[in-house]
Amino acid sequence: MDIFLSRLFSGMTAGSIYVLIALALVVVFRSSSTINFAQGEFALFTTYVAWWLTERGLNIWVAIPPIIVLGFVMGALAERFLIRPVRKRDETAILIVALGLFTGLNGLDGWIWGSDEKVFPAMFPSGEDDYVSVLGARLHYDSILVWIFAAAVVIGLTVLFKRTSLGLEMRAVATNPESAALCGIKVGRILTISWGLSAAIGSLAGVMLVPTIPPGQLNLASMFQVLIFASAAALLGGLDSVKGAVVGGMVMGIGLAMINGYATFIGGSFSLTFALILIVVVLVVRPTGLYGTRRLERV
Amino acid sequence: MTDAPLLEVRGLRAGYGQVNVLHDIDLSVGTGEVVVVLGANGAGKSTLMSAMSGLIPHSGEILVDGSPVGHPRPDQMLARGISLVPQGRGTLTALDVTDNLRVGGTGLGSKKDVDEEIDRWFGIFPRLAERADQIAGTLSGGEQQMLAIARALMSRPRLLLCDEISLGLAPLIVQELFGTLRRVSAESGTALLLVEQNAELALDIASRVYLLEVGAVASSGTADSFRENNNIRQAYLGY
Amino acid sequence: MLEPKTTPAQAPASTKRGPRVIRRGGREHTVLLGIGAVLAVLVILWGGQLDPFNQGQLTRVAIFAIAIVGLNIATGYIGLLSVGHSAFFGLGAYTTGVLVVKYEWDPLMTIPAALVVCLVVGLLVGLPALRIRGLYLAMVTLAFGVAFPEIVAHFDDLTGGAEGMTIRRQQLRPPEWSGFTLGERSQWVYWLCVVVLLIVMWIAHNMVRGRYGMAMIAVRENEIAAASSGINIAVMKVTAFGVSGAVTGVAGSLFAMYIGSLFAEGSFTLLAGITLLIGLVIGGEATRSGPLVGALAVVFVPYYAAELGQGQVAAVLFAVVLIFVIFVAPAGIVGGIAKAVRKVVVVTPRIPRKPEGTQQS
Repeated sequence: MDIFLSRLFSGMTAGSIYVLIALALVVVFRSSSTINFAQGEFALFTTYVAWWLTERGLNIWVAIPPIIVLGFVMGALAERFLIRPVRKRDETAILIVALGLFTGLNGLDGWIWGSDEKVFPAMFPSGEDDYVSVLGARLHYDSILVWIFAAAVVIGLTVLFKRTSLGLEMRAVATNPESAALCGIKVGRILTISWGLSAAIGSLAGVMLVPTIPPGQLNLASMFQVLIFASAAALLGGLDSVKGAVVGGMVMGIGLAMINGYATFIGGSFSLTFALILIVVVLVVRPTGLYGTRRLERV
Repeated sequence: MTDAPLLEVRGLRAGYGQVNVLHDIDLSVGTGEVVVVLGANGAGKSTLMSAMSGLIPHSGEILVDGSPVGHPRPDQMLARGISLVPQGRGTLTALDVTDNLRVGGTGLGSKKDVDEEIDRWFGIFPRLAERADQIAGTLSGGEQQMLAIARALMSRPRLLLCDEISLGLAPLIVQELFGTLRRVSAESGTALLLVEQNAELALDIASRVYLLEVGAVASSGTADSFRENNNIRQAYLGY
Repeated sequence: MLEPKTTPAQAPASTKRGPRVIRRGGREHTVLLGIGAVLAVLVILWGGQLDPFNQGQLTRVAIFAIAIVGLNIATGYIGLLSVGHSAFFGLGAYTTGVLVVKYEWDPLMTIPAALVVCLVVGLLVGLPALRIRGLYLAMVTLAFGVAFPEIVAHFDDLTGGAEGMTIRRQQLRPPEWSGFTLGERSQWVYWLCVVVLLIVMWIAHNMVRGRYGMAMIAVRENEIAAASSGINIAVMKVTAFGVSGAVTGVAGSLFAMYIGSLFAEGSFTLLAGITLLIGLVIGGEATRSGPLVGALAVVFVPYYAAELGQGQVAAVLFAVVLIFVIFVAPAGIVGGIAKAVRKVVVVTPRIPRKPEGTQQS
């Protein structure tokens, strides 16, 4: 039982990260009908900045607000100056620009900070003894912290979409950009804000990621896997659904923890391959995912 | 007050990609006036509406209150008091009825104004009030068209452009919609520019008419003169 | 609306003289082609006598050119955006590596083997393309590219897993008939890669010039229209993806012979896949010489970028060049040049011979 619980907890912690990145993907997809492949690299860049700030002696908690702002600005600028000019051309052009951002940001991280692994300071006491015991399983404080942040973002986004006029405008643009424009909504502004918001969520996810990867280390490839797991999560839940991102992220996190924990007969880790298979199966069998409403096709 | 028409276009050209659909259109709508543009399928009516509301690029001049407006975006045209009910309704299908109206009131100042305006439209279209929380995509065609009209009028425009609101609707509903439009126009002084294939109804409420043929204005005049013109009556009214 | 990726021959602008017209198959055309061929032969011969380092660079250009020719079939011509072609490159390389090291195959014989393995896997990966397209297919290929190193690590008794695998120098001895000694291995690999590149480019040329090429472009531009013209889209897409993977796999096989040691986490990660795609876009999608230009960029941009700072500068430069190309010359360098040249010279098809006895009305 205690082994099961500790696997469940670690799955939920990893799942929380997938939820956050999946939400970032969902926010962009809802407004622009595209998947931002550079999502993970936006997050990695700001995470490196956070690491750099802590190296300069800043407390990690103090470093979080500025990197969220930085994430927002990066996302917004990318949309305004790199994505929007090619939006009218075709889907492929947007994807290729996003891939350019992918390698460019990854390279920039390496150029500035080198490719060695970085040791990140803990946000919360995360030593061997810093846990609460739940039915014999250890629940570490930093796991609880990640859950709280993920839950806060989910609640925040839900309130934004359901209760605010900005959220209403974002939903309107997601439904039909042309009609939204005819209602007086500045569609371009909404797109820029969406990309900014998405990258800001990613920034938070990046800092949260650190406790979930083996011993507090961060490297240039840290986000590749996370992007795949989060994409699989978002596709499973439905690319335009907040609820779907939450369910999908948790299914991915807990599912992978259980498979890697119990299905030892397959030997070694096959997580990415499972994610790949899941992506293909969802797209072939149920392209809108569990809770999605729409599937975008090239018209 | 100036004598300049509320909306005027001069030498308007527009189209899609390399294809030019409209050729040198001249047209105007005065304050409070009801004008109809008639034309067959493919005459360029929808293109005209899209260009005038800023959805597609154009060349030539668009003037509001006598001053050129350049190449405005739809939200900027709306800010000048010109609102469009697009063809095919363009309701925000994933949003509920109230949210659709709320989005229509984006340009209004306060939340109180928006709520007041929503109440007003619920009064005018009781069927929308009954379905306030229903997702717009699940409404019937007629209800969606009501919603589209109400939404376009939420911003309290001075001129409402209507792109074939009769399309695909039962005659009874179309009559009801036109009746409402006429009443709203008379009560609040909103000018109407209707694009229609359904000439008979449109001529009933319009004072002036433009006839569009293959992307150019073929003739224009008062509604009465159109009704009296035998050729036109036979071509567009069928009697 | 989709913008056509190949610009149609433009009508001459309102200049006084229109572009010079050259007829395909005419004397001028033959002379120009001849000059081009002679130049190409000279460059290849020049490469043959270079010092090992520079020759190695040219070998790499040839290898990446082959890989990008493969990618071009799926992504350039038929519009199936593949982000993870690094996996085919890696699969080809590991096929050669495993067959040579574990089963002591002759390296040359592993090239067709890599081709077949990658063709089969390409057909399998292409299957989802029947239901999935655009954005979503890109997602699938991305996941394929990310998952590949994990799969290699999983079969570690064959592939050496994370430690990688090394092919002994002895095992890569040039065949006796070639006349190269073991010490001249780099020359042998150079000539091998050049010959394979020429063959691959020739095959691709014939493929895209003919009916098949037209059909592919038709599928890319408008599937419904293509289907109603009698093109079997399903067969088209899946075979194109298979052939595409196979060609890139051949490049991987050559890469294994060139480099001699394989690390899945090094040469075959997602970043490698993106680099291939960037090479294709920079060179020119759906152009015949674009892959070669792209390969030059893939090899030499990192080389010169290394002088600017730590290793990752190249990626930053790639990104900058890529975005510049997307904004300024969407058809890539080759496409851009072709467009500029068309303002000066136009090549028109040869005049069809008129059957005897017909009259022109």
